[in-house]
Amino acid sequence: MQTKRFQKTIFLTKFNFKRDWFKLSLWALVLIALFVGVAGKFTSLYGSKAGIDQIVKTLKTPAMVSLFGKMPQGPYTSADVFAAEMTVFMAIVAVIMNYYFVIRNTRGEEESGVLELIQAHAVGRMSHLAAVLIESFVLNFGIGLIYAIGLQFAGLSGTDTNGNFLLGIGLGAVGFMFATVAAVIAQLSDNSRSATILAYLIFAAMYIARMITDVSHPKYTWFVPLGWVEKFSTYQNNNWLPVVFMLLVSMILILLAFYLNGHRDIGSGLIATRPGRKNASIFLRGPISLLWRLNRISIVVWFFGIMILGMTYGSIFNTIGDILKTNPMFSQLLDTKAINTANLLLIKQFIGVLIIVFAVLALIPGISLINYLKTGENKGYLEIIHSKPTSRLRLFSSITLVSLITSIAVLFAGILGLYLGGNAVMDQPLKFDLFWNCFIGYLPPTLIMLGISTCLLGWMPKFVSLNYGYLIVGFFVKYFGKLLKLPDWTEKITPFGFIDKVPVHNFDVTTFWWQLLIAVILIIVGYLGYRRRDLITG
Amino acid sequence: MFIQANPTLHIDHLQKRFGKFQALKNITFDIYPGEVFGFIGPNGAGKSTTIRTLLGILRASGGKATIFGRDVFKDAVKIHQHLAYVPGDVYLWPNLTGGEIIDLFLKLSHNRHTQKTDELIKKFQLDPTKKARTYSKGNRQKVALIAALSTEAQLYIFDEPTSGLDPLNEEVFQQEVLKLKQAGKAVLLSSHILSEVEKMCDRIGIIRNGEIVETGTLEQMRHLTRTVIKVQTAEPTPELPTLIGVHNVVIEDNGSQTLAVDSEHLDAVMDYLSKKQILSIQATPPTLEDLFLRYYDSNEVDQHAN
Repeated sequence: MQTKRFQKTIFLTKFNFKRDWFKLSLWALVLIALFVGVAGKFTSLYGSKAGIDQIVKTLKTPAMVSLFGKMPQGPYTSADVFAAEMTVFMAIVAVIMNYYFVIRNTRGEEESGVLELIQAHAVGRMSHLAAVLIESFVLNFGIGLIYAIGLQFAGLSGTDTNGNFLLGIGLGAVGFMFATVAAVIAQLSDNSRSATILAYLIFAAMYIARMITDVSHPKYTWFVPLGWVEKFSTYQNNNWLPVVFMLLVSMILILLAFYLNGHRDIGSGLIATRPGRKNASIFLRGPISLLWRLNRISIVVWFFGIMILGMTYGSIFNTIGDILKTNPMFSQLLDTKAINTANLLLIKQFIGVLIIVFAVLALIPGISLINYLKTGENKGYLEIIHSKPTSRLRLFSSITLVSLITSIAVLFAGILGLYLGGNAVMDQPLKFDLFWNCFIGYLPPTLIMLGISTCLLGWMPKFVSLNYGYLIVGFFVKYFGKLLKLPDWTEKITPFGFIDKVPVHNFDVTTFWWQLLIAVILIIVGYLGYRRRDLITG
Repeated sequence: MFIQANPTLHIDHLQKRFGKFQALKNITFDIYPGEVFGFIGPNGAGKSTTIRTLLGILRASGGKATIFGRDVFKDAVKIHQHLAYVPGDVYLWPNLTGGEIIDLFLKLSHNRHTQKTDELIKKFQLDPTKKARTYSKGNRQKVALIAALSTEAQLYIFDEPTSGLDPLNEEVFQQEVLKLKQAGKAVLLSSHILSEVEKMCDRIGIIRNGEIVETGTLEQMRHLTRTVIKVQTAEPTPELPTLIGVHNVVIEDNGSQTLAVDSEHLDAVMDYLSKKQILSIQATPPTLEDLFLRYYDSNEVDQHAN
């Protein structure tokens, strides 16, 4: 390769850092605080032999394996438990971070025309992509190094230097590997939206593949690049081979991305945009149909994607609902009926954890739709609509309606998937009532979260993205709360905390109604703000 | 041009503040049916802010603005039933085609895709089957123009509509606006292209730093500014540069002089020159450019105010 192709790469890299420093530091800070913070607290949580045995027993159940990955062989220390709980989760967050930065800085810049301005200068053809990759390399391995150093000082019992660095650098490597995945996909698609969807489809496929292999044949997880993080076997075997694999795959993908980049025009993708209709169909006539037309592909992808995720989780119900697998002693202590009851309880508890995953995932498209009234305004897409005899009430209620329906439908799809997948494998079918209960129970808090977004939209449009942060907090508390022994009040900081024992117990009717009322009030208050504010807020 | 009793658009001391920044200080003008009103001013003077306030997108901080006698913010929906608008920067949904977007805009205004729409698509040479993602700035503008021009309305607002168009399309646009005018519609045309404004507009409003500094017909405005005179006299004219209202006297090689004269002092200067035996004289009326420059250069305006 000629050096000219990479002219000004370092300059552009510096420029990227200068432009992104706030977002980069925010992500890095949150990730490091989370990781090192949990590590620092861990010995006090699981310090004793009894405590460790207890949690390891839980983590070895198929349900936990499907969520966190397979535990290596014992004996176990606090550090082993930490690595088992945190590795897959931190890898997922790293993927989200890298997809965000890489797609935004490559395809996003190309789409907005910034790249054209840059490329008009004495800048090499490959420099822009190279700069983005260097930026994410520094970001991932920088965070990884700090993880490692943090672990050195976290006072977690059972760690060793080799393991600390393996876990830190390994998490950096998995992040960077997915940065290169995003870089390749950004070359294929000619707009950042479909690039993002495509990238997440690949990620979801890998996540599901790793879950299935973990539960059935853990050694097959070697075939799933996302699953390599589980093969570090941190603090046990300290296996660096997965890191080497990740770096190799990253190298190949980088070369592929450069190759594709060199063989296409700026602004175009390899998947071309085709011409479309000459006239609008009779269905495209107002705000609701416009929103559907703009988002139908992503709504359908969300719906079926979450349904497939639900079915996959459901398909391991027979493994999870098998208490004898965890402890064969039970067959002597309990009769068949008692064992069935115990098995059902296990499944119900597992569903209880999964529902929060579905609710959070269902809220992402919903919140993003509501935020379109702000992001679409900023990009100028709505200016002509605002000059039409379309009232603010109509626009606001259309977008709220489409968003509510989308979130509710995606939540339902996940639960339906669980039901279908579960009953395909269970000897004794689960009743649909059980799932319906989950759905109805989690409906009101989901609506409250959307209501919060409408309020932000109406009163503080600059901060509409804040609700995603709140959502992540809610997810973290529900998902990790019990494992990290967070104090009880933390549950109640998001509306999900009030839906406690579904589906082990029935949902609480009173909670259902007051939460629904709050959701309605939030939406009305949101509209009152939207009705009177400037529609362009800069 | 005749002035009717009821203006289509009436703006009285309109103000708009964004936090501490006063974007509009004092905007006052009217537009009447059958009139094309040119709205000119430098970047950032407040043209688009004024228009967005008129559309009810922004909420005025003070003053009054009505269209068809109704409040622009409270009655936005009713007003918009008889209004068509083309923004300065047209952004279209990337995955919809131009044809789909035109039809959507028409339907939102309770209009239909008519033969006129097809004619306009042809005249502007737009390919409506292409996805908006692939359109250039000019093509995006055409989409908005075609939708607006085939909308049945009483008031048409164009915010720098031709900045991305080629000269042929610009010509088409000018013809279409002329038709609107003949049909008795009111048109607000914000523009940078002075020749366009000069050609099309009946009256002009000049905006500077959020204030309307001048409104009137081009003729009226010409009286407010200077006429350039090129003159050759038999006798010397040493007092000429010192006369009130005379500026920029330049003596050419052949003995003729060029000077700019304030319109209100033209009489006195002509008196003086005629006493010196005029051999040849040539007067150029001020162009809109001269007006424009005069109002934009803040020093000159201060002098003018004094």
